[in-house]
Amino acid sequence: MKALTANRLSDGEVVFWKDGAWVERLSEAQVFSDEAGAGEAEASARTQRTVVIDPYLIDLVDSAGFWAPVSYRERIRALGPTNHELHGKQAEGGGAVEALRQAHGAARSSGRVNLIRRK
Amino acid sequence: MYRYDAIDRAVLADRTAEFRDQVRRRLAGELTEDQFKPLRLMNGLYLQLHAYMLRVAVPYGSLNPVQMRALADIARRFDRGYGHFTTRTNIQFNWVKLADAPDILDALAAVDLHAIQTSGNCIRNVTADPYAGAAADELEDPRVWCEAIRQWSSLHPEFSFLPRKFKIAVTASPRDRTAAKVHDIGLLLRRGRDGETGFEVIVGGGMGRTPYVGPTIRTYLPSDRLFSYLEAILRVYNRHGRRDNIYKARIKILVAALGAEAFAREVEAEWEKIGPEGDLPRAEIDRIGAAFTNPDFVADPASGDFEARRAAEPAFARFVRNNLKAHIRPGYGIVDISLKGIGETPGDISADQMDLVADLAERFGQGDIRSTHEQNLVLPHVRLEHVHEVWKALDAAGLATPNINLISDIIACPGLDYCALANARAICVAQDIARRFEAPDRAEAIGEFKIKISGCINACGHHHVGHIGILGVDKKGEEFYQLTLGGSGAEDAAVGKMLGPALPIDRVTDAVEAIVDAYLRERREGERFLDTLRRTGDAPFKEAVYAEAH
Ligand code: HEM
Ligand code: SF4
Repeated sequence: MKALTANRLSDGEVVFWKDGAWVERLSEAQVFSDEAGAGEAEASARTQRTVVIDPYLIDLVDSAGFWAPVSYRERIRALGPTNHELHGKQAEGGGAVEALRQAHGAARSSGRVNLIRRK
Repeated sequence: MYRYDAIDRAVLADRTAEFRDQVRRRLAGELTEDQFKPLRLMNGLYLQLHAYMLRVAVPYGSLNPVQMRALADIARRFDRGYGHFTTRTNIQFNWVKLADAPDILDALAAVDLHAIQTSGNCIRNVTADPYAGAAADELEDPRVWCEAIRQWSSLHPEFSFLPRKFKIAVTASPRDRTAAKVHDIGLLLRRGRDGETGFEVIVGGGMGRTPYVGPTIRTYLPSDRLFSYLEAILRVYNRHGRRDNIYKARIKILVAALGAEAFAREVEAEWEKIGPEGDLPRAEIDRIGAAFTNPDFVADPASGDFEARRAAEPAFARFVRNNLKAHIRPGYGIVDISLKGIGETPGDISADQMDLVADLAERFGQGDIRSTHEQNLVLPHVRLEHVHEVWKALDAAGLATPNINLISDIIACPGLDYCALANARAICVAQDIARRFEAPDRAEAIGEFKIKISGCINACGHHHVGHIGILGVDKKGEEFYQLTLGGSGAEDAAVGKMLGPALPIDRVTDAVEAIVDAYLRERREGERFLDTLRRTGDAPFKEAVYAEAH
């Protein structure tokens, strides 16, 4: 599964593609199951030059019933900085945010690779 | 400190007006991102993971209270109420909107601040000893030279398109608090045999993917010949630097390729051609110097109840031991403000804390504030009789952690929590280590201990010169950390050596503790960690970290 992401030109906010427009929450993003559909959306996003910067596709995996990015970099983008839990998208909390924090992505081992703030 | 004149102010006003127009054209679609990106970078505006980041230059780490309050105001109005001091003594705002950037630049210009030359292949903000003008062991105030370099290099057309970025540090103390030897040029002010002052010139140090401790290419350069010599270095670099390969474009690569002696010969030949015409007239240096003379010192001020309180209050005594340094004048001290509260983000400071620091500088510190390359602040001129009150106020605001140069005084770059180039996080690793070594008696017993963490090989967190350096790497989708031992950014500069295989994130703090415990076992009387390591080699530490690894 894939989603399409970029940073919004006006404020740098991380945004996700949804049917030709952009949303701020990954949980609301359009999820692509086929390469062709994803590629088409990416091409179309690239024409929105005054709206977003550098759109690109990311891989998703299931985490507790939500889609989470495979790469931890993308999970941090979808959450916000892990040193300030009230900054960025994670501030609103809820199941989708928790699922992102708990996701293990591509990591083989488990238990140490989630993005929960280390205490 | 140096005050802007009408010309300086006009330059800044033009510059923000120009940038405002560029932002307008970008938002209107008249400029593409490819066209706009170099323009915004020239004004310190980067795109990071979650937002734009604005890097504001703090020339040679000097701020006055008015400027500090303006930074607090910007943090409140345009950011989320905080800022981040960096290893280049600058401050970064992490949550800037593109459309707000011109207004922020205007707010900065109103207090003689800007973001020029905080990015791009130019001479970047010049850094100085944060104790300049105050340190007991200082020869003369290096900021005079920094200011002259700032004026000379700012928007200098010949040096605006160098092969790569260019960083200069200046210090006038035998104890190097600037990491001069890992800069493109490090200038160490020395007294010559004739009693005049001059510079030892170090060229081609650096960090990043190929770290070098810079070689000295001239042991003594009379100070009045500084500018022609700098020009000669930059010309040789401009001519021969590797513009074809970004990874080989820094001057360190050129110096290493030619060899320090051959490089020095090229510079001397160029210097000959430029001649004294390329130098700054003495009168100009004197004019700049006059801005740095400090008239407000009292001769031999009373130290009040400083000694009595120190004897009576252990917490104050601890602060004094670790955060108060010897001043060149009797009755004064240098107060280090730690931005390394246990569990906090290294270098972060809230707007309220900025205001407090501004107030304290105004009331007790002759209006002088410094930022350090170790991501702390300094009040360089505090009368001993006021130190207790300053400490109380700092403590109430969470700014009095007594850990300067101790194990929890960690440098960490923004890493993957903010930076688009990062491979792994750095901040949470620093927080975890600081918490482990929170107990102040233990930290003091361990003594001077410098841990430096970078989230990728660009080494913004100086990991190469950490006593323990920690470098984040991405190993098959997990954050791993490579440890190096034995680096130093001080006068005994050295690049650390890799200890062994990278460790997963949850093993890093244990590994640091194992290294510390091995040091405490091995150390002899009076040795810092670095001294013990240099004597024993890394075998005991390797064993401590990797023996129990399975
Ligand atoms: C968006 C944020 C940042 C970006 C994109 C960035 C980028 C880079 C790059 C590409 C290099 C390597 C340059 C080279 O070796 O040629 C570098 C080096 C460096 N940066 Fe950063 N950096 C960022 C933030 C910071 C911060 C927050 C600090 C201070 C904490 C910092 C201080 C330095 C220092 C000291 C070096 C190494 C010294 C040197 O070799 O020049 N940077 N940075
Ligand atoms: S070292 Fe790497 S991760 Fe850290 S701030 Fe520099 S570029 Fe970013």
